[in-house]
Amino acid sequence: MNLDYLWNGFTVALTLQNLLIGLAGCFIGTLVGALPAIGPINGIALLIPIAYTMGLPAESTMILLAAVYCGAEYGGRISSILLNVPGDAGAVMTALDGNPMARQGRAGEALMLSGLSSFVGGVFGAVGLALFAPLLAGLAIGFGPAEYFVLMVFAFATLGSMVGSQPVKTLIGCTLGLMLATVGLDATSGAYRFTFNEPELGDGIEFVVLVIGLFSVSEALLILEHQASGVTVIRELGRMTARLDDIRKSIGATLRGSVIGFIVGVLPGTGASVSSAVSYTTEKRISDSEGTFGKGDVRGLTAPEAANNATACGAFVPMLTLGVPGSGTTAVMLGALMLYNIQPGPMLITERPEVVGGLVASLFIGNVLLLLLNLPLVNIFARVLTVPNWLLVPGILVLSVVGVYSTHASIFSILLMLGIGIIGWLLRKAGFDMAPIILGFVLGHVMEVNLRNALAISGGDISILFQSKISIILWILAGAMAVMPLVAGWRRTKVVKTATS
Amino acid sequence: MSDTTSSSSRIGRVGGLLMLALAIAYGIGGSQIEYAFASDPLGPRVVPVLLAITLAVLCLFYLKSPGTTESFPQGRLLVKIIAVPLLLLASALLLEPAGFAASIFLLTFGVGWIFGAPLRLALIGGVGQAALWWFVFSYLLDVYLPAGRLFG
Repeated sequence: MNLDYLWNGFTVALTLQNLLIGLAGCFIGTLVGALPAIGPINGIALLIPIAYTMGLPAESTMILLAAVYCGAEYGGRISSILLNVPGDAGAVMTALDGNPMARQGRAGEALMLSGLSSFVGGVFGAVGLALFAPLLAGLAIGFGPAEYFVLMVFAFATLGSMVGSQPVKTLIGCTLGLMLATVGLDATSGAYRFTFNEPELGDGIEFVVLVIGLFSVSEALLILEHQASGVTVIRELGRMTARLDDIRKSIGATLRGSVIGFIVGVLPGTGASVSSAVSYTTEKRISDSEGTFGKGDVRGLTAPEAANNATACGAFVPMLTLGVPGSGTTAVMLGALMLYNIQPGPMLITERPEVVGGLVASLFIGNVLLLLLNLPLVNIFARVLTVPNWLLVPGILVLSVVGVYSTHASIFSILLMLGIGIIGWLLRKAGFDMAPIILGFVLGHVMEVNLRNALAISGGDISILFQSKISIILWILAGAMAVMPLVAGWRRTKVVKTATS
Repeated sequence: MSDTTSSSSRIGRVGGLLMLALAIAYGIGGSQIEYAFASDPLGPRVVPVLLAITLAVLCLFYLKSPGTTESFPQGRLLVKIIAVPLLLLASALLLEPAGFAASIFLLTFGVGWIFGAPLRLALIGGVGQAALWWFVFSYLLDVYLPAGRLFG
C-alpha cells in the first residue's frame, strides 16, 4: 500500500506554522464544542472566511478546520458531563452516563475517561482514514459522471434514512438545498437562473453566507427564545485522574465505539450524532447486564465518546476520495475546498497530495495535542462554560458579520445572511435540521453538472445512468437506504426506549 | 396548554403551504428560464422543474403530518426576536458609513441588552467587544475592516 502521501503529509503538518495552526484549531474546537450554543459546524463556518481572507494556503485551512472538528468532539463532553447539556450533537449520549457520574462526585474522572476514549477513537479513525483513503481513491477512478450522479443519489438516500426522526423533513431540507444551488449562472447554457437581475447573485448564493445564516444567525434567535432559566453547573470536580479499574473496564466499550464510529463516519451524510447514538445503544445491549447504564456506567460514557471522535476522522474518507461529505460538518468543509477552487474527488490524492496528506497527518498530531490540552487543562474549559449569553451571542454575531463581509466586502451578503438566518430559524422551530440543506447545496451543483454531462455523453440516453456495475450497485444501495426509514422508524422508537429505559 | 398542539401544527401547516407556494413559484420560474443554446440535452430548465415537483410532493406529505412545531413567540419575546435582526440590519447598513467599531458597538450593545444584560453592563460589553474584535481582526489577523466615512 502506497502511504507516501501520508509521510509527505507529516512534513507538511509538522511545519511550525501548521503546528501552531493545528494547536489553535484544537483549542478553538474544544471551546466551540464545550459551549452549548455553538457546535463544530458553526465554528468551522465562522472560521472559513477568516482563514481564507488571512491568506492561509489550502492545506493550512484544512488542518485548522479538521482540528476544530476533532477538538469539538473532545469538547462536547465537557458540558455534557458538567451541565447535562450536550456541547454539540455528538455529545448527546455522553450526558446519559457522564452527568450521573458528575453528580456522584466523579466529574473529574468522567472527564479524564472520556478524554482517553476520545483519543483512542480519534487515533483509530485517523488510522482508518490513512489506510482507507488511497484504497477508495483507487476504486473511485472508475467513476464517470453517471457514477458520480448515482453516488450522490445514494448520499441523499443515506441522509434521508438516517438523520433526524422525520425523513420527510430531511428530504425537504435536501431539496431546498438543491434548489438554492441552482441560483446563479448556469455554465452550460449561459442562462441566469433565479438571480432576479441582482448582480451579486450571478455567481450563486455564497456558501459562507448560507452556512453562517442557517447556523449562526438562526442559533442566536433560538438561544434568545430558549434562554434557560438556570442550568446547574457542577463545580466540584473531585479527583482528576481516572481509576485504573475504570480504564480497564472501558477498553472494550472504547474499541467497539471506535469501530462503529468510523464506519458511520465513512457512510455519506451521517455524522457524530448518529454514531454516538448507535454505539451507546449497542454497548448497552452488549454490556448492560446489571442495569447500570444511565446511572454512571463508565462504558456508557466512553463508547459514544470514542465513536464521535472516530466519526470525525471517518467522515473525511468519502469527502477526500469521492467529494461526497461523510457528515454535515464535512459538507461545510467541502465548501471550504470549493473556496480554494479545489475539486475533491479521487484525483485529489494525486493532484494535491499535500492537502490530503497534510490533513490526515494533522489528525494524528491533533489528537495527541487534544489529549494534552484536554487532560490537564479541562478546568479552564469548564470555566469557560460560565460565559453569559449576553456576551456570547453578540460575539457570535460579530464573527458572523465579519465572516460574511470579509469574503467580498459586500453589504448585500450580510443582508442575504440575515434573510437566510430568519428562514433558518423558522425552519428549525418547525423541526427541520439544517445539515441536509447544506448537503443539498454543496452537492446540488455537482449533481446537476454530472447528470447533464452524463446525458451529454450518451446523447440524451438516460440508460447511461444504469449501465456500469458501480452505478447498479449504488442504485441498489440507495434503494435499500430509502427503504430503511420504515425499518428505522420502528427501530428508532426502540432506540429511544432502550437508551432512556 | 391544550391549545398548543393544535396551534403548533397549524404553524407547521402554514409553513408547509408557504413551501408549497414556493415550490410552485420556483417551478414556474424555472420553466421559463431564458436561454439561447444549451450544450447538453437537458438544458437549464429541467432540474429546477424536477426539484419543484419533488418539493411539492414532499410538502404534500409534510402537510399530512407536520409533526410538532415549537410555538411562535408572543409579546415581549416576539419584540426581542424582531429586534435582533433589525439590529443586525442596522449595523450592516452602518458598517461602511460609520465604520467597524461603531457598527459593532451598536450590535453588541444592543443584542447584549436584549439578552438581558443590565444597561450599564451591556454598554461596557459593547465597548469591550468593539475594541476586542477590532484588535483581533484588524491588528492580529489583518482582515480588512471598514474605517467608516465619518472617522476614516
